[in-house]
Amino acid sequence: MPNQNGTVYGLTILSPIINDEKASPSHDLQIRNYLATLPTGEESPFALAPGTHLARLVVMDDVIFVGAPAIEEHLQSKYLIFESNCDGDLDTYLTGLAAAAGQHLDAVWSHCVGYPGAANRPAFVAYMKACQIETTFFFAAVNNKSVPETLRALQTQRAVADFIARHQRIEPAQLQAKFAEFVTRLESEPPPKPGSAGSPRAIKTGGRNE
Amino acid sequence: MSRLNETDIQGFVLRGYNLPFARYVFLHFEDAARARALIGRLLPVITTGQHWDAGKPQSTVNIAFTHRGLAALNLPQATLLSFPVEFLQGMKSRAAILGDTGINAPEHWDKLWHEDSVHAWLGINGQSPAALDARCSEIQAMLEQTRGAIQLASQDAAAIMDDGKPTTREHFGYTDGFGNPDYLGVERSTQPGQGKLMPDGTWAPLATGELLLGYADEAGELPVAPVPHILASNGTFMVYRKMHQNVATFRVYLDEHAAQYGGGKEKLAAKFIGRWRDGTPIELSPDKPDQSIVKDSNRNTNFSYGADLEGTRCPIGAHVRRVHPRDAFGFNGRLIDRRRITRRGLPYGPPVPEGQPASDSDERGIVFMALNASLSRQFEFVQQQWIEYGNDAHQGNDKDMLMGNHGGKGKFVVQGDAGAANPPIICANLPNFVELRGGDYFFLPSITALGMIAMGLVDPR
Repeated sequence: MPNQNGTVYGLTILSPIINDEKASPSHDLQIRNYLATLPTGEESPFALAPGTHLARLVVMDDVIFVGAPAIEEHLQSKYLIFESNCDGDLDTYLTGLAAAAGQHLDAVWSHCVGYPGAANRPAFVAYMKACQIETTFFFAAVNNKSVPETLRALQTQRAVADFIARHQRIEPAQLQAKFAEFVTRLESEPPPKPGSAGSPRAIKTGGRNE
Repeated sequence: MSRLNETDIQGFVLRGYNLPFARYVFLHFEDAARARALIGRLLPVITTGQHWDAGKPQSTVNIAFTHRGLAALNLPQATLLSFPVEFLQGMKSRAAILGDTGINAPEHWDKLWHEDSVHAWLGINGQSPAALDARCSEIQAMLEQTRGAIQLASQDAAAIMDDGKPTTREHFGYTDGFGNPDYLGVERSTQPGQGKLMPDGTWAPLATGELLLGYADEAGELPVAPVPHILASNGTFMVYRKMHQNVATFRVYLDEHAAQYGGGKEKLAAKFIGRWRDGTPIELSPDKPDQSIVKDSNRNTNFSYGADLEGTRCPIGAHVRRVHPRDAFGFNGRLIDRRRITRRGLPYGPPVPEGQPASDSDERGIVFMALNASLSRQFEFVQQQWIEYGNDAHQGNDKDMLMGNHGGKGKFVVQGDAGAANPPIICANLPNFVELRGGDYFFLPSITALGMIAMGLVDPR
């Protein structure tokens, strides 16, 4: 089914970037500049807002002519591409994004044609959906678990591996007691915050990654 | 495809010499004209890939250059800038990509590598210390007569001996050196398990362009190479890494964990690597070492992991399974055909027999060299994704047990089954068993290209 892989939603949004010869730097460069400074860890807008597994923002200037036998073609506009693997219902997701990361969204999308601002929630949702194109095929690393479930599962996996490493070859009764203790403690622990697992790294533009 | 022109390719690329003594000499060029004169003098003694019809020579000589070395030889700017970026940058600049951080970071390398002054590598192998010394004196005389280069340092390496006979063992006690890949056109005694896996379960040679520049690779493309074509063709890129081995740490760690492991010490040692210490693939013989397999070239590299996806025979994170996953990732093994490297190297430093006191601080380890057409696609990928990370093998952030830069953290999971002799175990709090002590990326040119460099004929137009 398009846009859906298990319970994960594959969102693709193409927003035309304002073409204003008088703007300097141009709107597309202003977007690039802002994206280059966007935090990637727990402070990322996609970590602050609920429901994002993975998101990507790209400025597409044009399609690149790779030489014959390809045909030379051009886009009518520069586009901001927003791709996201997210949880559940699209309206809920977009509303959550606007509520938690409105400032970031406005800083980026204010350079796009017809953007109404995140404060006007119904207009924002309607705008994003108007820019949406069908995601015909996408890869979801985890396709049947929500973001909180995934984070909880990773936390559990790490904790269990750690528990096993520390309690190998002890007496069954003692192991059972330790395990019961461990489970109680783990259940009371808060799940890790989105964006907290990876090591921090700077966003690089134009990087080459084979 | 017909046979390659073996007399134009350095012999070091086409075959492992199996000569037990080696000296790696590092040179610095002060003057381009004098350095070119030195290369001209060396040219007739460089060992090519020509057949050894009269038996093995007493000694061999090979040469390779860093990017700085090629610049010091005054190669044209247009040629220098056409090399792949990772070679242009050198291994030190790639430390973050390679996971060469912490204790493995360049500031902890041998002094030789601190100044960025290594311009060339000479690899000299010999049948005996006398043959090695004789060849080195000959080269020393050329250095003095031409004043073509300063010798910055040299690194001796030698096979570990058993009753005076060279072995392929390394300092942790493992038998090493199985299974370099086969390539189309390279004449060598091939054996199943050394090329690429075919859908019918047989093995075929990899495309020549995975090893040599100027030939089609596994994607049917020419590898990224410098201009002019004739400078690149029949050449390759070499990684040189001096890897210190903490033998005391390894032995203590193995003993401590073997005491917790129902399968016994030797089986646990085998699980780390995927081979028993005598070289028997654990995938083929999970319960005991078997010399009949080790000695059988039809079997000692001829296995796959498709029937062992749970890793109960060979752990999913075992060294040989990580760095050559064969069919472990599915798709008949096709995902790995562009990630293969050819390995060369020898141990350095005095071996310590089992049971005798060993110290981590003794100068002891392995000189690891890898040959490949693309440093970034082949060596760097294997190092970054399969040694320093575990996701492809479904091992999360776990690193290669033996080679990983663990820094006291991390774990290695030995999968097992319900049998008392094959229990699972998690080895945690991993120390660095191996530490990087330096190295760089080198270009290993063809004989024709060496001649062009010596005569100042490299012309990118």
